[in-house]
Amino acid sequence: MATDKQSSAAVTATAAAGGGSQGEPSRRPRIPRIVGLLAALAALLVFPWMLPSGYWVDLAVQVLIWGALASAWNIAAGYAGGLSLGHAAFLGVGAYTSTLLFLELGISPWLGMLAGAAFAGLLGLLLGALTFRLRGPFFVLATLAFGVVVNILAVNLRGITRGAAGLVVPFDGGWENMLFASLEAYWYVGLALVALVVGTTLWIERSRFGYYLVAIREDEDAARSIGVRVVRWKLVAASLSAALTALAGTVYAQFVQYIDPSSTTRFELSVQIALIAIVGGMGTAWGPLLGAIIVIPLGEILRAEVGGGPALMVYGFLLVVIVLAAPRGALPGLRALLRWIGRRGAGG
Amino acid sequence: MDLALQIVTSGLLTGGIYALLAVGLTLIFGVLRVVNFAHGEFMMLGMYGAYWMWALWDIDPYLSVFVVVPAIFALGLLVDRLIIRRTIGAPEVTVVFATLGLSIFLQNAALTVWSADTRSVTTGYTGTAFTLGEVRASVPLVVSFGVALVLALALWAFLNNTRFGKAIQAVAQNRDAAALMGINVQRVYMMTYAIAVAGAGAMGAIAAPVFSVVPRVGLSFVITAFVIVVLGGLGSVPGAVIAALLIGVVQSVVGFMIGAAWAEIAYFAVFMAVLVLRPQGLFGRRGAEVYQGA
Repeated sequence: MATDKQSSAAVTATAAAGGGSQGEPSRRPRIPRIVGLLAALAALLVFPWMLPSGYWVDLAVQVLIWGALASAWNIAAGYAGGLSLGHAAFLGVGAYTSTLLFLELGISPWLGMLAGAAFAGLLGLLLGALTFRLRGPFFVLATLAFGVVVNILAVNLRGITRGAAGLVVPFDGGWENMLFASLEAYWYVGLALVALVVGTTLWIERSRFGYYLVAIREDEDAARSIGVRVVRWKLVAASLSAALTALAGTVYAQFVQYIDPSSTTRFELSVQIALIAIVGGMGTAWGPLLGAIIVIPLGEILRAEVGGGPALMVYGFLLVVIVLAAPRGALPGLRALLRWIGRRGAGG
Repeated sequence: MDLALQIVTSGLLTGGIYALLAVGLTLIFGVLRVVNFAHGEFMMLGMYGAYWMWALWDIDPYLSVFVVVPAIFALGLLVDRLIIRRTIGAPEVTVVFATLGLSIFLQNAALTVWSADTRSVTTGYTGTAFTLGEVRASVPLVVSFGVALVLALALWAFLNNTRFGKAIQAVAQNRDAAALMGINVQRVYMMTYAIAVAGAGAMGAIAAPVFSVVPRVGLSFVITAFVIVVLGGLGSVPGAVIAALLIGVVQSVVGFMIGAAWAEIAYFAVFMAVLVLRPQGLFGRRGAEVYQGA
């Protein structure tokens, strides 16, 4: 009971601090928080209908899916400190599990995505159990190897995955199969997905579990010495991150309606997931989503304007510059900018 | 029996070529504590260098080494100056993703300039083979194996027998103590990186008669090289050579028996097992696996 009270007190304190840091002047009448939230929600709900064409809706849905993937990666990497370069494996597990269950057994992807998440969660647990002792580059290389193995299996277990030919999700329309004729519907699915992953992250940030993870990330030995169950919490984070990544994998499969080993488990996808989270800001709840808002449209515009090769050159360049100049990503900078604007608004 | 000998021979020969790539990777890790994800891209640039010198001026790929090595060495100095130097002592995410970003950049620069076409070098000796008893080995594979191994051994001799080589080893053992002994650590880092990537470039040039070139070629090679250096013990040069030969044989034997894809799975299984059970590798010093990042 005492711990419950403590943590709820901590939540209140954090919320109060969060409210204060917006820098709103006390003279101006404060808009009640609930009104702001409702306005934001309404804006999000009508957003896809405001976009000029289906192309932009498609792009917006991609932003949400990649935002969810990067946020899920962030739980293991940004909070628990396990820089994974194999997360595409979990994306693939989610996409393949729900799609195969749908194709072979007619099970709705809504249920299939839970099966995929459970499977990925177990794999994440297994990978975590094998690698929790590894540090630094050794951990990175182990996750990379895991991702490569899953990719090779997806290509070569033709009896199950049909190999490089891939799987087509038959358009058996209707919400019960998570297949929609309108792109806008996928926006809402994507929103729900992002809400789930970012919501989980926000919950982690405020929970005892989150403090354990940050303690482990900052200094594993110190955390252990003060009684944090390092192995247990690392495994929980790895498993949770893998399961959430798989959920996004199912949504991805339903959205593009065709999956193959290259589009779901390629090494480059693992890199892209990490890249997005890093650009936005690792170890923050909103950073990975911000990263997706920056990186996905940028990539799309570059591909259209200068072609795929130069677009990826810019990705590479961006990654180098960000990790060298601003390893905390864009979010701290954006926060500072908003505060500055807030102060200017108050002054003038 | 002859068949077995044949398979092992071609495995050893391919492994020998990997050795040159792996030696540089392990050296960079041992000295700078940086995992150089861009290592395969320097190899790719070496391959393109050899290819274009052959395609444009009809220069033999083995001779192009003399141009490729200085060029990649200079590029290595530049990359150290611009990127690697700034990652020393930086947060882990910087150390890992700076070279990964460089790898993406170089790979796609090659894609932009030279397109995704597969290019191969054909010379007078392409398709010819040496025969010893019942065992046949293609001439370019044997020559590349020989050159790669000679270069890898030369690097090892340089590390053990020259003053600067010993300075590199001293920094690998303890950078602070080395600095106190008057070794210019910054310079050692710079030279180590440039020498190691020049080795990767040399490997690319001499591999050009054996393997085809595409912009993505570095990725699969560098992943194999990671397996090799972890198996041999990150930081251990002789370990990398032995592990490279071992991986070559595993690849060849498993590839022949059940298929190339399963060979990859097999050595990744070995890789995971080594990481989990013996992270210092087969030949690494115990404790070398403890990451001394910041």
